[in-house]
Amino acid sequence: MTPLVWLCKRETLRVSKLWTQTVLAPVVSSMLFILVFGLSLGGRIKQVGDVDYDVFIVPGLITMAMVQAAFANNASTIFQARFDRYVNDVLSAPMRSWQMTLGYTVGGVVRALAIGLSLLVLALVIVDVPVRHPFELAAAMALGLLLFAPLGLVVGIYAETWDHSTFIQNIVILPLTFVGGVFYSVDVLPSPWEELSHFNPIFYLVNAVRYGFLGESDVSIWLSLGVIAALAVPVYAWSQWLFSTGRRLKD
Amino acid sequence: MYRDHPALALRGLTKRYADGTLALEDFDLEIPAGAFFGLLGPNGAGKTTLISAVCNLLRITDGEIEVFGEPHDSLQARSWIGLAEQDINLDRFLTVRETLIYHGGYWGMRDPEERADELIDAFGLRSKSDTRAPRLSGGQRRRLLLARALMHRPRLVILDEPTAGVDFELRQELWRYIRQLHAEGTTILLTTHYLEEAEELCDEIGLIRDGHLIARDNAQGLRDHFEVGRLQDVYVKAMAQ
Repeated sequence: MTPLVWLCKRETLRVSKLWTQTVLAPVVSSMLFILVFGLSLGGRIKQVGDVDYDVFIVPGLITMAMVQAAFANNASTIFQARFDRYVNDVLSAPMRSWQMTLGYTVGGVVRALAIGLSLLVLALVIVDVPVRHPFELAAAMALGLLLFAPLGLVVGIYAETWDHSTFIQNIVILPLTFVGGVFYSVDVLPSPWEELSHFNPIFYLVNAVRYGFLGESDVSIWLSLGVIAALAVPVYAWSQWLFSTGRRLKD
Repeated sequence: MYRDHPALALRGLTKRYADGTLALEDFDLEIPAGAFFGLLGPNGAGKTTLISAVCNLLRITDGEIEVFGEPHDSLQARSWIGLAEQDINLDRFLTVRETLIYHGGYWGMRDPEERADELIDAFGLRSKSDTRAPRLSGGQRRRLLLARALMHRPRLVILDEPTAGVDFELRQELWRYIRQLHAEGTTILLTTHYLEEAEELCDEIGLIRDGHLIARDNAQGLRDHFEVGRLQDVYVKAMAQ
């Protein structure tokens, strides 16, 4: 287990050494969303269901910040290691492939949790967001990170340039997050947009997290958790396959 | 017990890259435990491919590799190999000391700090121990690369052109470290373009061209075989054949 512990420590150290970029910046930008959208639009929208708008958007914003951080962290750490070829120090070590996968996954998870917990504390202070179902919230977060942290590894391993991983983040993940119900309930969308939203995996993650916080969701919590798990398992298996075969990591 | 087996045994090693390039073909090589073996050949001959194959850094097409009798991809074999690559590939986020400590951790060392400090002193990096790799000079990076390869006390040290592009003084310094390492019983596989380096350091030299081993012997044996007076002439003659 020692090599795994050291790889986890290395990935965590990278997050902590770059804390202004990895944690502070996403926390500040998410807080700006809460302040600007919550306080300005909140005055006009008042409530979504039984929930004040500034409270309603908090779960989605925390989810958005966490999944983006988990993805971006792992895509960049493995791409950088490949690009500078210091990944060889890990690939040649007496370490099992599952330890490599898990060790590299941990960095994104730690970074996302640091951001999520910081935002939670700030949200509790600023908008007094409740946490009605902590176990469901923890399960949703865990599955969400299990989906996006290894997805970052997969993209970072396949990427030929920095642009490839930022492309996935900016053209796929960010838009899906915005249309996944972070700022609104999909109930208010006209057909077919409401139905199309159900094909967006981030919609289920946002709603699972929202259920954990507010006790309200556009879909069943179990359906949401099931969809996220059904995506997380193959994505994690994909990243594990890349490390166990060496495909894209070794010539 | 590990001396009962050759340090390195390659049997029928073949590597064909995705673009069709055949870098090694049916390559056989055995290096005895405790040897200092030099591998000489031009760019593209297959030296780095061979080293990468031994160190599990590429997927071989065919053949077998054993390190002290263990399959090269076993955890045991991996723990016995120390590699200093040709290109500087140091983790940009780690300091000198962290580079060594984390490497030791990856290799399963329980308390790597003491060993890291020992190597920092041995390689004259004490004043830079808290400096991150990108801020080191070229010579300091080269020394750190070698220190990292030795961190976990490997039984087989593989040095891929360790003195490429370094000045005369650093080359002498690196030779001193390498000689000392060999004197302590470590098996060394060295690739180099410098013929005098191979002659100066190695017990035995292998000549590699187009993915094949075309000759192996000590420097005098090679000169006798090719009927020339200098190793440079051996090289020219062997590569022209």
